[in-house]
Amino acid sequence: MSLTGLMVLGIGYMLVLFLCALAVERGWLPSRLTRHPAIYTLALGVYASAWAIHGSLEQAGRSGYGYLAYYLGAAGAFLLAPVLLVPIQRMARTYQLASLADLFAFRFRSRWVGTLITLVSLLAVLPLLALQVQTMGNAIQLLSGGGSQEWLALGFSGLIALFAILFGARHTHLNARHDSLLAAIAFESVVKLGAMLALGAFALYGIFDGPGDLQAWLDGPGHLEQAETHPLAPAQWRTLLMLFFAAAFLMPHMFHITFAEPLNRRTLLRAGWVLPLFLLLMALPVPLILWGAQRLGIDASATGTAYLAFGLSSSWWVGALAFIAGLAAASGTMIIISLALSGMILNHLVLVAHPPIAQPDLYRWLRWLRRGLIAAVIVGGWLFYRTVGVHHDLSTLAMASFVGMAQCLPGMLALLYWPGANRKGMVTGLVVGVSIWLAGLWPPLLGAPSGVVLLPPGLEVLADEPDWYLITLVSLAANVLSFILVSLATRTSAGERAAAEACSVDAVVRPMRLPLVAGNGMEIKQHLARALGEDVAEREVERALAALKMSPLDGRPYALRRLRDRIQANLSGLMGPSVAQDIVDRFLPYRQDGPGATEDIHFVESRLEAYRSRLTGLARELDGLRRYHRRTLTRLPVGLCAFGEDGELLMWNDALAELSGIPGESVIGAHRDTLPPPWNELLGRILAEPHSQLYKQPVALARGQRFLSLHKAALHGDHGDPGGNVILVEDHSEMKWLEDELVHAARLASIGQLAAGVAHEIGNPITGISSLAQNLRYDTDDPALLETADQIQQLTDRVSRIVGSLVGFAHGGRHVTGAAFEAVSMAEVTDEALHLIHLARSGEDIQYVNHCPPAPRVDGDAQRLQQVMINLLGNARDASEPGGRVIVDAEPQGESLLVTVTDEGHGIDERVRDHLFEPFTTTKPAGEGTGLGLPLVYSIIAEHGGQIDIESPPAGRANGTRIKLWLPLNREDAESTDEPDPDR
Amino acid sequence: MYVYRIVLFLVFGGYLLSPLLMSGWGSPGAAWYRPFLIWGVLIALTLWLERKRKLDERR
Repeated sequence: MSLTGLMVLGIGYMLVLFLCALAVERGWLPSRLTRHPAIYTLALGVYASAWAIHGSLEQAGRSGYGYLAYYLGAAGAFLLAPVLLVPIQRMARTYQLASLADLFAFRFRSRWVGTLITLVSLLAVLPLLALQVQTMGNAIQLLSGGGSQEWLALGFSGLIALFAILFGARHTHLNARHDSLLAAIAFESVVKLGAMLALGAFALYGIFDGPGDLQAWLDGPGHLEQAETHPLAPAQWRTLLMLFFAAAFLMPHMFHITFAEPLNRRTLLRAGWVLPLFLLLMALPVPLILWGAQRLGIDASATGTAYLAFGLSSSWWVGALAFIAGLAAASGTMIIISLALSGMILNHLVLVAHPPIAQPDLYRWLRWLRRGLIAAVIVGGWLFYRTVGVHHDLSTLAMASFVGMAQCLPGMLALLYWPGANRKGMVTGLVVGVSIWLAGLWPPLLGAPSGVVLLPPGLEVLADEPDWYLITLVSLAANVLSFILVSLATRTSAGERAAAEACSVDAVVRPMRLPLVAGNGMEIKQHLARALGEDVAEREVERALAALKMSPLDGRPYALRRLRDRIQANLSGLMGPSVAQDIVDRFLPYRQDGPGATEDIHFVESRLEAYRSRLTGLARELDGLRRYHRRTLTRLPVGLCAFGEDGELLMWNDALAELSGIPGESVIGAHRDTLPPPWNELLGRILAEPHSQLYKQPVALARGQRFLSLHKAALHGDHGDPGGNVILVEDHSEMKWLEDELVHAARLASIGQLAAGVAHEIGNPITGISSLAQNLRYDTDDPALLETADQIQQLTDRVSRIVGSLVGFAHGGRHVTGAAFEAVSMAEVTDEALHLIHLARSGEDIQYVNHCPPAPRVDGDAQRLQQVMINLLGNARDASEPGGRVIVDAEPQGESLLVTVTDEGHGIDERVRDHLFEPFTTTKPAGEGTGLGLPLVYSIIAEHGGQIDIESPPAGRANGTRIKLWLPLNREDAESTDEPDPDR
Repeated sequence: MYVYRIVLFLVFGGYLLSPLLMSGWGSPGAAWYRPFLIWGVLIALTLWLERKRKLDERR
């Protein structure tokens, strides 16, 4: 293939990659596709670097199936995703940690730890970067046979850097979503997998005649060539597996894709089998290509085993496939490594040396710094290739890289599983391990004949083993040993212990509750503006508020602590955890004047809820118990709230939320004094009271006046640990009202008894006065005396009526059985009542209309029902204006007859309506009404087993009153009503 | 969560026994695809455990 053709192919591929990313960036492809979990999983295929394409061939040529260690090590790490990767992802997500250095700096609470990890990563990754550049350069040289491979490789490196800058450094936050970048990396994974499978298929069916022929060749003539390989000793194999296991999540590019990009937990768990499958398919063609080349008799010494794929056929497309596979693998790895390393260098070298306090236009400054660092990393990789890499094979470069990165493995495992590990131990172990690695593997890289390997006494027998194996064993053993010994021998700081708890698997953070100096989101903005400038502080606080769905005016201490944590996590994604912590500690401090810090129970609970599915065994059982107790308190049908020692509200149950109309989420975490009135005053009062109860306190709530009883209890522990108070709030309003009713009823009963007695006592004298007045009429003809006698008689009649009503009411409560009832026509009863009403002199101009049908009839006492109708019609008449109408109507309704008396009068005042059936309640002027008419009606209707109701004004009218009576229908009439009408 | 223990057991067991894979390279009579077959079975097993884990978490 000509050099020009090769350049067109290479540049054309890079253009397709740019187009792919651009299509995602511009939204030309549906987001359903670009955000599909498969894209993330395929992006993890970035692990298969140029080593997977060319290095594996080199390894397979030397040690047979030993090349599989690269794939199986990573597959093992992803098989352990639930116990290894998911906890790291949780930490990275929670604390916005975008790199290994961020994670270590966070856990070991030191910016220098981050710097150290960054330097180690940089040194370890340089040989791997050089390996990628070397495979590109060698491929161009082998395929075209001309041109300067180093400068052409630099050209491709430039394109790769441009891509990384354009699509990877657009966002300032390292944890931002890079859909276009991920889609491009996924595309590269598909390309390299497709190319490798095509090359494998070509070898299997183009060179051999299928699997059977291959097996026959391996059993026959090929056997001799396979015998020349030197399988790895079991110990070497296991060491290699461990190195690649560590590389799968420690290498900066793998850490970046797995933890910094927003993969969700489910996608990561699914990658536990998808990535091993991808790697299986990537590994499968490797021996086929090697055996195909051996079958063809290609001389590996001329091209190098790593590049045998180029010689499989004279057809240009076979070489082109191998070139594209290598380019796709190398470019993907270089892009992600440059992004990851640039972030680490920025956060842990540049920003530590030059903190960005009050930097004008911080975002722009960070973005350009990062772009420069991306270019610098890729140029650094090319320079390393140019000066060092060209002199070495792929295996030497790869092993130097992987052994170096594995020095972080003890720290990472301790971070997850050993809370006792401390910074001094980790740094000592890392420095010892890295020193052994540098002394043992770097001198040969830099041109010295051999490295320095100091074997511990008793292990001299290993002296003949390969350097990579010896250095791995010695460096990791020394690293682990010194790490453990120093950690055990030195003190761990409180900050480290807290961070260790946050990082440990299955641990729940137990944050302390302290109030902030800033009182709300607005004040936080002002405080932060001194560090970040107005604009950046505004944007960062708004971002955190939006993530927490909080109002900037929310002043709850709990909410402000969450806001502070969120801002710290976001700043950590912007400029690393060390700088973020410095800024937050300096500019958003806690108040030191309050009571001592206590545990943030509410936060612990919310974390436990989130982690529930991860709890096992006893922890799960205990969590079940916790949930049961929590549910008991939350659903208790009595209001309950709990306060911490510092007056912060920790619990507000459902019943209290319903009673107060204040949802728990809006007040939990608030200070008692900031609760809405009247709760702040009421709860403050019970907490200040020496007694533990407050009975029937009148409280004005949205739903009216209520009477609440409060009980409190202290929550301090058995050993006097502070614990705050729990308060029970009972709504005793109904009981209070019932008590009031009872007192009122008792008062009425005594008045009733008194009235009946008085009525009885004055009945006889009144009769006497009436008789005397009658006699007077017979004894004189004097018109003046006759008129006086007439008036006396009228007045005594009135007194008799009142007395009669009183006696009737006093007897009204007695039970009258239905045995004396007969069928009564309400039409007739109403006619008779109207007749009597007409006898009265008042109300002559009122029009009475009786619409009652003669049937059906009701069961009842005609006399008493007539009394009812006289009372109701009399009331209607008194309420009506001159010329008004009073309508009486009736209609069957179920097993009752509904009788209505409707007037067009002034109606009844709402305040009086509820008490109308109580004795002595009247709307008439004093002296005109006794207030006993309607209570008498009520008692008569109750005797009849009926009901009474008042509508004022009636439905659909502006004024007037409608009295509704339901009286039981006469059984015979009811049956005839139910029967179908034969004529219908 | 018990599923995770099975995964741990599988991975560490596989790590210790994995050198056995190496012996097949070029040996007469040994099928060349044997390591891939074992690997494929391991992936299928993981897929099955992943489904078990989902059910376990749902409970």
